[in-house]
Amino acid sequence: MSSDVTDEGVAIPHTTPTERATTVTISSQFSPQMPGVTMSPLGAMFCSRCNEEFEPHEKIVNSNGELWHPQCFVCAQCFRPFPEGIFYEFEGRKYCEHDFQVLFAPCCGRCGEFVIGRVIKAMNANWHAKCFRCDMCDKELADLGFIRHQNRALCHECNTKAKAAGTGRYVCHKCHGLVDGKPLRFRGEVYHPYHFNCTACGTELDSNAREVRNRPGYSANDLNELYCLRCHDKMGIPICGACRRPIEERVVTALGKHWHVEHFVCAKCEKPFLGHRHYEKKGLAYCETHYHQLFGNLCFVCNQVIGGDVFTALNKAWCVHHFACSVCDQKMNQKTKFFEVDLKPVCKRCYEHFPSELRRRLRKAHELPAK
Amino acid sequence: MSKAKKVLDEAKEIGNPELDLMDKGISAFEEMPGLLNMINITRLTLSHNKLHTIPPSLANLTNLEILNFANNQIEELPTSLSSMPKLRILNLSINRLNSLPRGFGAFPALEVLDLTYNNLNESSLPGNFFMIETLRALYLGDNDFEFLPPEVGNLKNLQILVLRENDLIDIPKEIGELQRIREIHLQGNRLTMLPPELATLDMVSSKSVLKLENNPWVTPIADQLQIGVSHVLDYIRTETYRYLYNRHISSRGAPPPKTIDKSKKASRLPRRQQS
Ligand SMILES: [Zn+2]
Ligand SMILES: [Zn+2]
Ligand SMILES: [Zn+2]
Ligand SMILES: [Zn+2]
Ligand SMILES: [Zn+2]
Ligand SMILES: [Zn+2]
Ligand SMILES: [Zn+2]
Ligand SMILES: [Zn+2]
Repeated sequence: MSSDVTDEGVAIPHTTPTERATTVTISSQFSPQMPGVTMSPLGAMFCSRCNEEFEPHEKIVNSNGELWHPQCFVCAQCFRPFPEGIFYEFEGRKYCEHDFQVLFAPCCGRCGEFVIGRVIKAMNANWHAKCFRCDMCDKELADLGFIRHQNRALCHECNTKAKAAGTGRYVCHKCHGLVDGKPLRFRGEVYHPYHFNCTACGTELDSNAREVRNRPGYSANDLNELYCLRCHDKMGIPICGACRRPIEERVVTALGKHWHVEHFVCAKCEKPFLGHRHYEKKGLAYCETHYHQLFGNLCFVCNQVIGGDVFTALNKAWCVHHFACSVCDQKMNQKTKFFEVDLKPVCKRCYEHFPSELRRRLRKAHELPAK
Repeated sequence: MSKAKKVLDEAKEIGNPELDLMDKGISAFEEMPGLLNMINITRLTLSHNKLHTIPPSLANLTNLEILNFANNQIEELPTSLSSMPKLRILNLSINRLNSLPRGFGAFPALEVLDLTYNNLNESSLPGNFFMIETLRALYLGDNDFEFLPPEVGNLKNLQILVLRENDLIDIPKEIGELQRIREIHLQGNRLTMLPPELATLDMVSSKSVLKLENNPWVTPIADQLQIGVSHVLDYIRTETYRYLYNRHISSRGAPPPKTIDKSKKASRLPRRQQS
């Protein structure tokens, strides 16, 4: 992590009037008889606002021990009773929510709403904690701290990146530090080379390491691996993807790797395929039985494991050749509108050929509340 | 007639093994000259025509895997159909079948049999009907079954069983033997109780469907169904329910009345006069 941070400011949760304001609901108004029972025997009680004495049997409002005439227990600004009894107190005076916000609550620099509760004071403005975010990655900054970079509030990581971009240097994707020498490129990101070891010999890598594409033809690169230059050069001899040893005899090539025949096995039962058909899913190979068991993509028509694209609908799957209307066998695609009859797809034309009596019943069944 | 012939000629010319002849106004196989010699075809689709019969010689098309007669007026099937060695999918939905021929269950490779919307019941099935061990899906919706024969338990590979809108009064306990089943449609029947064995099947996973709506269920089942199918299954697993069910089996009263008016079914209508 770089330490040459300048112009650093850290958002400190700022206590504002709102935080000191207590939100209080009025205690239940005393019934006229109540004062005689609960009040001090001295009897002399005064309204906190007008300082007048209370008449016997007069209604009294008690809020946190202070007593008021009901007509005196009102907002200091608009002189109206507090809606739902909620008021805010500031410098000894009570305000209704509306007036309190208008008079004292700061506006959020992002959303423009009043900020009640925690106010973040930063970048010469006030913010909701939720609204004060990194200008690059949108992370909330209130508790992380931030760095001002060219008048933008950034998190530490983004600041490092932004600065590196300015100097033409790279930021390591793993530790977020600047890369001084040549970086190592791996799976689309840049790194300090020393974070990695050679897949074959385990030695710490330098920037000469080679990224080996493990699945030719696949755009995803999450199976790519890194080798030191020496091991990469030796890779004319295939290395088994399971045991990492060179393969001297028969080589099986699958999943973008090479395998000893006896080491290319079903990911579930671990039995070698020995030349039998295997099925690939998410970079793993399965025998037919376990592929079905785990993924269940058998075409409803040909009952074969679906290798390529799968249409799934109505609790069933179809291969590209067999997704068709169950009544007329005409092919459908993902855009074809179809009706469902006994969880079979029926094209519009066929449905219209159905006896009207049947259509009526099917329509009725579909109108029933779904379970 | 000429429309059908044109399709046949084209297919012969390019050697297309899949024949689409739906909605061509065909009322007899004679209108499709040469069809029965097209030995290489694998699919024959004759939906939405007016066929009344199927000639026994159709079975000579031994490469057929998919045979589709949906929405015709077929009243009878040739026995030879069941000998077709590669037939995997047979669609006879929306026809006028009152019975199936003797030995119908002899299909060596049949996987999907669609008999939806005919006039079939338990007594119109041949003795070997439930011997089609290769069957994956059996569609019997919109027929007249009052009882499902217990032999249904023989269909070890059955994944889909549809009995929607029949007149079913009872489901046999053998349904619990259908270990691979994942879709059961029982809606619109006269069922009051379910065999507890049904609850031994995995009918609550995301890949399972059990449809039970529109039956005169006993109150506790109806109540559980309000909450969901899994609650019905939980309930019929209980000892209390077993006791109720056994009592119901041994002292069966009059079944609930039929509720679906089938007199208007197209499968029942008399054949229109040919001009
Ligand atoms: Zn006010
Ligand atoms: Zn805000
Ligand atoms: Zn950031
Ligand atoms: Zn190495
Ligand atoms: Zn190996
Ligand atoms: Zn396996
Ligand atoms: Zn298929
Ligand atoms: Zn169709």
